[in-house]
Amino acid sequence: MDAQFAIAGRDFVISVTDKGVMSSILKMKKNQDKTCQLSSHTFMSVSGEPGDTSNFSEYIQGNVKLYSVRNSQDLSPSETANFIRGELADALRSRSPSHVNLLVAGYDKGAGEAALYWIDYLSAMAKVPFASHGYCGYFLYAVMDREYTPDITLDGAKALVKKCFEVLKTRFVIDFADYTIKVVDRDGTRELRQDEL
Amino acid sequence: MSIMQYNGSAIVAMAGKDCVAIAADKRLGQRALTVDTDFQKVFPITDRTYVGLPGLATDVKTLYDRFRMRVNLYKHREERTIEPKTFSHLVSHMLYERRFGPYFVEPIIAGLDKNDKPYICGMDLIGCLDFAKDFIVGGTASDNLYGMCESLWEPDLGPNDLFETISQALLAAVDRDALSGWGAVVHIITPEGVITRDIKGRMD
Amino acid sequence: MARRYDSRTTIFSPEGRLYQVEYAMEAISHAGTVIGVLSKDGIVLAAERQATSNLLEQSLDNEKIYEMNDNVVAGVAGHAADANTLINQSRAIAQRYLLKYDSPMPVEQLVRRLCDMKQGYTQYGGLRPFGVSFLCAGWDSTFGFQLYQSDPAGNYSSWKAACIGENYSNAQSILKQEYKDEEKEEAGPNVRTVGSQMTMDDALKLTCQVLSKTIDTAKLSSKKLEFATITLKAGKPFIHVYTSTEIDEVLKKYESVIKPADSQ
Repeated sequence: MDAQFAIAGRDFVISVTDKGVMSSILKMKKNQDKTCQLSSHTFMSVSGEPGDTSNFSEYIQGNVKLYSVRNSQDLSPSETANFIRGELADALRSRSPSHVNLLVAGYDKGAGEAALYWIDYLSAMAKVPFASHGYCGYFLYAVMDREYTPDITLDGAKALVKKCFEVLKTRFVIDFADYTIKVVDRDGTRELRQDEL
Repeated sequence: MSIMQYNGSAIVAMAGKDCVAIAADKRLGQRALTVDTDFQKVFPITDRTYVGLPGLATDVKTLYDRFRMRVNLYKHREERTIEPKTFSHLVSHMLYERRFGPYFVEPIIAGLDKNDKPYICGMDLIGCLDFAKDFIVGGTASDNLYGMCESLWEPDLGPNDLFETISQALLAAVDRDALSGWGAVVHIITPEGVITRDIKGRMD
Repeated sequence: MARRYDSRTTIFSPEGRLYQVEYAMEAISHAGTVIGVLSKDGIVLAAERQATSNLLEQSLDNEKIYEMNDNVVAGVAGHAADANTLINQSRAIAQRYLLKYDSPMPVEQLVRRLCDMKQGYTQYGGLRPFGVSFLCAGWDSTFGFQLYQSDPAGNYSSWKAACIGENYSNAQSILKQEYKDEEKEEAGPNVRTVGSQMTMDDALKLTCQVLSKTIDTAKLSSKKLEFATITLKAGKPFIHVYTSTEIDEVLKKYESVIKPADSQ
């Protein structure tokens, strides 16, 4: 029941993740950050089984940082995404699979390009211009399909995110109180408030 | 619904005169929801051998990565590239290793051997090989592809005619399958090299 | 004195030496010479094959130069059998990296892993060190062309031109003398200056020159030599291992620098 989506332009990715924690019919919390910073220019948003999300993302964060320390060099977004996918795929066929859906967003300093990877809990992976997981995808893909262009600017993407919020507010049964909004580009990762869109 | 139908795919390989072709659609979905419209399902193994992997998308990537690793090790150790027939037996063994917890993929292999003879074969998800002289089909549109290939394919097609035949067969087949489509990619493998073309179909 | 500290590799002598490791290095200094020369657009590797007999079947094309990965080629000096296991391991390591990150393994990381294996055998009891040194020539997108040398102790270092095997000190001094270094220039971000004014032609020429002075033979020929280069082709590393005819062509082309050695 999480809301999780992201939009990639040529040189930025904007990602949105809701802050709610729900258990059955209860709202447990409304300020949970479901994103996980992996390096200065790469992060991922994680949804799925509550225990698995933190366990899996901490494991990935630790290993991606370990790589940086060992090799004095960060993994690129594509290397990071492939590493994550591999770990999730191995877990899938082990005795302890992780039920997590991921969006990996990053800016590749070498190539000068932004990249967004969609990875589901079965570890199918796709490099996509925009993505979503869960029920909100059924609403948001339609909006993003209509409005997205490959040369979208950050301001354009912010406007598109606002439209997505509108749709969720009017048509989705769940009211997501607040969202983590993150942008990654040449200068690194930064968080935006809703009123900064 | 079977797990083989979860992501959707349509792949076909055809033999021609001194050439082979392999084509695949580009859709990646989660049941009826389309997630990606440019998803790679056919991969180069050598300069003249390609493998198509219809089935569950996670295993498509996992298997291709593992094939690439095995083929690179083969290449360095043997100091030659792998033949399509050798490769298909490698694939078959890798699938049967997981007999009781299989990868949900039914690979299709197309290539030219060292004598420029066309080679195509398919297999089921546990590696039972299926050799053919005409065509091999796979994926959620395989029933439709059978029909199209039965009526369009003829022996000894040249590269151009083969391209036309395989493209028409695939496009017509995916138009009547809700789980595959969104354009296609076609590789024609000839002794002179590989011609790769992206084709548009009904993009919906 | 030495005897008492010889039998096992794990023991330091009172002078603080590891005899078995030193013996392994000694073994390498009698092995066929391997030379590597870095240029601004590629690397040349050349190796000498020792003790060829007319009766020996030439079934294997290469016994001194191996591809470790699509972006790394290595020249071997020392025990061939020891080298084989290390090369097989290195190839597997490089492929596992590709499987894990979907990107080719950076050269230094591969060399480091190779040296970790070698180091292990100088420390754990009852085992003998690997009697091989490597010259690894490679390319990666972060650091460009790189040439590494490794020894049985597990040390490795990066070079512009290097030599291992018989007469290595001799060769090293010629390389030092003849290598055209770059005048100091500011390096761009993320680009380690290869510090070379050499072209591939210069590098091949220098290699031939050094070979002619280090190899103890009347005439250089493809029978006793192996050559390989790594260059960039359409932005991707391209390893070329020379056939015997190609080696003869190279030797013929640089005849002028080879001849003086013959007349010595």
